[in-house]
Amino acid sequence: MSLGELGQIFVNAVLLSGILALVALGFSLVWGIMNIVNLAHGAFIVLGAYVTFFLHELLHVDPFLSIPASMLVLFTLGWGIQRGLINQIIKAPLLATFLLTFGLELLIVNLINFFFKADLRSVTTPYSGTGFTLGSVRIPYIRLGALGVSLFLVAALAWYLKSTRTGRAIRATGMDLDAARLTGVKVAAVYASTFAIGAGMAGAAGSLLSMIVPFDPNLGGTYTQRAFAICVLGGLGNVANVVIGASIYAFVDVFVGARLPSLSRAVTFALLVLLLVLRPQGIAGKSA
Amino acid sequence: MKRTALVSLLALAPAFVSAAPAPAADKIVFGAAVSLTGKTAKEGEYTRDGYNFFVDKINEMGGITVGGKKYKVEVKYYDDESKSERTAQLIEKLINEDKVTFILGPYGSAPSGTAAPICEKYKIPMIEANGSAESIFNKGYKYTFAVLSPAKLYLKGVIDLVLTKDKNVKTVAVLGENEPFSKEVASGAADYAKEKGLTVVYQELYPTGTQDVSALLTNIKAKNADVVLGAGHLQDSLLIVKQAKDLGVTPKAMGFSVGPSSPEFRENLKGNADYVFGATQWTEALKYNGDDPWKTPKAYGDAFRAKYPKYSVIPYQVAESSAAVIAFWRAIEKANSLDPTRVRDAIAALDIMTFYGPIKFDSRGINIYKPMAVEQLHPDGKKYTVFPASVAERDALYPMVPWDRRK
Repeated sequence: MSLGELGQIFVNAVLLSGILALVALGFSLVWGIMNIVNLAHGAFIVLGAYVTFFLHELLHVDPFLSIPASMLVLFTLGWGIQRGLINQIIKAPLLATFLLTFGLELLIVNLINFFFKADLRSVTTPYSGTGFTLGSVRIPYIRLGALGVSLFLVAALAWYLKSTRTGRAIRATGMDLDAARLTGVKVAAVYASTFAIGAGMAGAAGSLLSMIVPFDPNLGGTYTQRAFAICVLGGLGNVANVVIGASIYAFVDVFVGARLPSLSRAVTFALLVLLLVLRPQGIAGKSA
Repeated sequence: MKRTALVSLLALAPAFVSAAPAPAADKIVFGAAVSLTGKTAKEGEYTRDGYNFFVDKINEMGGITVGGKKYKVEVKYYDDESKSERTAQLIEKLINEDKVTFILGPYGSAPSGTAAPICEKYKIPMIEANGSAESIFNKGYKYTFAVLSPAKLYLKGVIDLVLTKDKNVKTVAVLGENEPFSKEVASGAADYAKEKGLTVVYQELYPTGTQDVSALLTNIKAKNADVVLGAGHLQDSLLIVKQAKDLGVTPKAMGFSVGPSSPEFRENLKGNADYVFGATQWTEALKYNGDDPWKTPKAYGDAFRAKYPKYSVIPYQVAESSAAVIAFWRAIEKANSLDPTRVRDAIAALDIMTFYGPIKFDSRGINIYKPMAVEQLHPDGKKYTVFPASVAERDALYPMVPWDRRK
């Protein structure tokens, strides 16, 4: 492997880490705070991709500029879904939340299928695929932009959770539900915000992905899977953990893929199993 | 899609009812289990429409002549719901309960593979039009035939085309999806490239549903391959072109087994789709002159559109399926018998030219004699058939213009 190739692979992995961190960010937040493994997360991502796609196709809005729009749409939808559905089962056993979010995923995917058809779509702009070269390493603008947006949103969420009143209430609820309630936190409202923020982040991830990969209504499942793996690898409870998990995932995926692509997924998930055996607290790292 | 499937089922209902009594003696009934619902409902519909179109034509012409007598033709359909285990059950039912003696194949390699052993068991000939994995044909079946070119030949045309354009081509990279059909396409392409004296500098498979091929492309870029061949499905082909541009991978030619022939390829990639080659079983632009009621692909296409106006472009699945009925028609007349075994022998000996191309089977039952055509997307926004040269519509554009030198 030449140095140039190694450099390119390294850059590919860094660029992928960013987008994957954003993919897992909302999923991790909802899981960590509400203890809900949201199987509809991937479907939210796909919805975000469609928002950007249609704004670009119909109104010629630049895909990067449509990110706030898709975040807003998904935030609102997330809020509604939490108030109307998730809230009903918040105290139910884990299995019930699995069933509900799984059903939600099927419903959303089938509705997208019905309204937008199963055709593959991409957002292609005049600058798609263009980039600059650093030595022998090529850096595409869109991927770099996506990394920037991801890091910005990760940092923004970290700041929000740390420094705002609602953010602190969210963290407090995640740490100890009853104590939070006793100190006057309105748990229902906190949960709704949490779920809505999670969905909003998924919307942003979808907007970015729409420029990077061709998507169809069924794309979400694989991203839910990835988000899950990233959360397990990194552990919950902290925004930084998501970035760590995403980086591990991306580096393994890209470096194994560079030499043994047919095994890349197998190795990534083997690593996950290994981690579960050796460091199960990786998952339960909520209060770590 | 669900709704159209339902409508087409309803449309079929009268056919089921009328076919319920035992087939009359002056009729030949073919059996078919086609996916009219489920994952491949659309392709199943193409298959059915292709069968029906030629069956109707035979009836218009008076029927199939056996022993001086004209027999009308009819197809009895079942919906295999895109599940290959269901296909096998339905083929068994068609043979045992409906007493059909000839089978038209289902849609797809997997269901064709489960239907074949059933036909073999009852010695009922099946001509299939939509299953090109050779795994179906390496089991020694004597009663299964496929009119389409096998998977391993999919990218042969692209390699041949590049070689006629450029004597200095030396290196090929092949990347394929890790699933049976694409694996055969990929290894077939690599083997053929080696046979032609090219060096295969890269040959790897990626997992189904991959979302990132940058690792593979980085490696290919380092190897500086002249030709990049992709053997996967539409989404993979789109991803490979996108990321090739991202990473500045600029081979002299890029070709795919599946993808470029679909309108979605251009819709997704816009100008980045230009110069890409795509394999296809058949296009309307091919210049075959066959011995059948239409003779040329164009005449077939026009006649088909007149009858089924919802098709603006005729998918190759439709033509393949009509070709399967042509093969049965010619074989039955040649055997001059309705005995399944005799018809089977006549199919095995078939050697005809049709609007779809040559139909002739090797000892395993595959039509290795029909070349795959190659299409290319041109900068004028259109797609042209560029290979084989003798039947092509336009000259191929070669080499591919590097990404940064396009407008």
